[in-house]
Amino acid sequence: MNRRHLLAATGAAAVTPFIRPAGAQTLTRATLRLKWLTQAQFAGFYVAQQKGYYREAGIDLTINPGGPNLLTENLVASGADTFGLSGGTDSVFAARERNLPIICAGVMHQQTPFVFVTRADGPIRTLADFRGKTITTWFTGANFVLLGMLAQAGLSRGDFTMQPQQVSVQPFVDRQVDVVTATRYNEFFTLMQRVGRDNLRTFVPDDHGITFPRDTVIVSEQTARDRPQTVTAFLRATIRGWRDALRDGKAGVDAVMSVAPTLNRPHQEFMMEEAGKLMVAGGAAQNGLFWIDRPVVQAAHDFFLRHEVIKTRLDLAAAYNSSFLEAIPLADRMA
Amino acid sequence: MNAAAMAALRLMGGVILAGLAWEAAVVGFGIRPHLLPRLSDIFAAIALTPGAYWAGLQRTAAETLIGFAAGTAVGIANGLLFFRAPVLRDMLLPVFVVSQTIPVIAFGALVVMWFGNTLMAKAVIAFYLTFFPVTVNTLLGLNSVDPRQAALLRSFGATPTQILFRLQLPMALPQIFVALRLGASLSLVGAIVGEWFGDNTGIGVLLLQAMYNESVVALWAAILCAALLGTGFYALVAWAERRIVFWGAEQ
Amino acid sequence: MSGTSAARGVLGAVLILALWEATARGFALPAYTLPAVTQILAAVWEHRAALQAAALVTGFEAVTGYAIGALAGIGMATLLVLARPLRVGVLPLLLAINSVPVVAWSPLVLLWFGVGVSSKIVMVALAVGFTIFLSALAGFDRVDRRSVDLMRSFGAGRMGIFWRLRLPAALPLIAAGLRVATVRSLIVAIVTEMLGAYGGLGWIIYQSVTLIDFVQVWAAILVASTLSLAFFGAVGALERRFIFWR
Repeated sequence: MNRRHLLAATGAAAVTPFIRPAGAQTLTRATLRLKWLTQAQFAGFYVAQQKGYYREAGIDLTINPGGPNLLTENLVASGADTFGLSGGTDSVFAARERNLPIICAGVMHQQTPFVFVTRADGPIRTLADFRGKTITTWFTGANFVLLGMLAQAGLSRGDFTMQPQQVSVQPFVDRQVDVVTATRYNEFFTLMQRVGRDNLRTFVPDDHGITFPRDTVIVSEQTARDRPQTVTAFLRATIRGWRDALRDGKAGVDAVMSVAPTLNRPHQEFMMEEAGKLMVAGGAAQNGLFWIDRPVVQAAHDFFLRHEVIKTRLDLAAAYNSSFLEAIPLADRMA
Repeated sequence: MNAAAMAALRLMGGVILAGLAWEAAVVGFGIRPHLLPRLSDIFAAIALTPGAYWAGLQRTAAETLIGFAAGTAVGIANGLLFFRAPVLRDMLLPVFVVSQTIPVIAFGALVVMWFGNTLMAKAVIAFYLTFFPVTVNTLLGLNSVDPRQAALLRSFGATPTQILFRLQLPMALPQIFVALRLGASLSLVGAIVGEWFGDNTGIGVLLLQAMYNESVVALWAAILCAALLGTGFYALVAWAERRIVFWGAEQ
Repeated sequence: MSGTSAARGVLGAVLILALWEATARGFALPAYTLPAVTQILAAVWEHRAALQAAALVTGFEAVTGYAIGALAGIGMATLLVLARPLRVGVLPLLLAINSVPVVAWSPLVLLWFGVGVSSKIVMVALAVGFTIFLSALAGFDRVDRRSVDLMRSFGAGRMGIFWRLRLPAALPLIAAGLRVATVRSLIVAIVTEMLGAYGGLGWIIYQSVTLIDFVQVWAAILVASTLSLAFFGAVGALERRFIFWR
């Protein structure tokens, strides 16, 4: 059963999706691995798939959701998936440092997608007030962003308690912790529901000069080298889907909910809206969706290097490749 | 068959009673919905998108059944093999034991790399959890057969195959079924955990989505589906046991 | 286990490890597919401090949950055997709860008991409790009806029958349940940690995956596996020491 996969994996050769005739036209079979479970954050991909944009671009695409303990970089590097929407600049750095043969071909969220949240009526008004407080955050990158922000306020590691955050924002709601980390499109919605928007104060990394682009489109080095036109075709169709989704958010949510019908619609509509803002912010305003803003990526790289999250200086020119995007006319990339 | 009808009726009465008690407890004690929602709210959530739950139920059931069937077949074959070849048993059984101490969920990516995103990948995990208890219990059951009985049959000119199918395997069946009942729930666990490695349909997917969206109602809806599947499958195995091992049923 | 079978077991393990090492090295597999055994051992040594701390957390959760679960399981089985009317009402409910796979409870338990140690202990106690409850109940019920009638005719009460007849009959099954539950307790603790925790082997596994350190994942699994086997062995040794009639 399924010897092909087994052989491919043990042989460590990347499985290049084979070309199969489908009717008159030849479609390239490919898969996209998302960074997380199906939700409106990925609406554009589902819109493009359901409207047949990928097929028109010659790609027979299967969208595979992510999950806890699945790493997109890993699955794309091994050839199990063709394309990936991976964690972000941080996970691309980590993958490149560990010699995973993947490159980034586009960046979805131009700004840091998460913020640090406190209670508006609480004792924390400035970053300096974080001293002695209990903070929960993700230990996969967000922790270093916060450390960097707090360093600007003169605080160092021992001045506060930092705990890993998973699953639930309930400890913050129950006032067991003072600061919680929230993506603008997901946890923040839950917080608004449980605590109320007016009772929340946010600390935005970008306001403190730390921008941390996330949700990166990745492909294996082999795909990038051997089939650049497929990568460009994928990006072109993806951007078409996203342009539709950004213009008509309701239809975008519909596309997602046709795949995952048990999701909560108001939450998904909020997510669509917020994720959309992140996509058109920063460099995307002039250079179109999925733009790789090199100075920003460089700054994030230097920041991580300074905090020793990555130990070695990376060749960013090799890790981030804009050529696939640039093969698409700018007018077609604009939101 | 009247007794069976009565039993079914009693069971139904019990389920309805438990449901009412749940509803009454939540309303009566004013339990906060994020701790325990009302049963009626959970049913309402299911009724809102019945298709998703039905599809999930079917998908997970298929994965469970395939994994269970494969686990049973391989487990019994292993047991027979180890019974006949003690050298293999001594060499491989400890390795099997070690394999069972590994939490599969840690290898989500490996499972996807090796078996893709298919129904089979989930069935493989269900299989992995099922085959071991079946192997061990088959071996135990075969070993518990009195050698004197086998010797007696042999003296009547029975071939080893005949002894196996007429004496040893039937005598081992009660033990094997103990493992099958365990395997019924383990294979469901395997299927659900397997669905956590990136999939669109299944009870495991519904559980995960509900958890990360902090939707307690949806979480309970998925748990009820899992309970339905778990009870149904367990009952099926128990029924098969009563039909097949009519001589050795407990009590 | 006799000397030869032990030797064969060691031989089997060595052969498999050699095959593993040869596959990983021979095909030059990248660490994200299959790291070599020696690489994993080196990682265990390199991260021994962190792994030891994590093993302590996970071990504590597993053993505490195991103890609670075992006591609750045996206690509940005893109660249901002694108080028949209770059994009719409670047993179906327990069986219904048990029919939900343990992992399905984990999201709920995490939301209820938080991300800390307590949610792991609850999950382990739940898994272990049901395993041992079911084996104890089967053991208590295993007695021959005629023996019960015989003892009753000699004037033995419910308690007398329980101590002299049911408990001795049930002990081997309870012991088997206790042994099986050891491995389960660690797996359940690790799985729950992977979904949300402040520390432990499961948390290390989760972190290592997101930080793309696959050798570390295998190292944590190796430690977990060793811990399971040690727990299994310890309970087995205790059983041999105290269940003298076997």
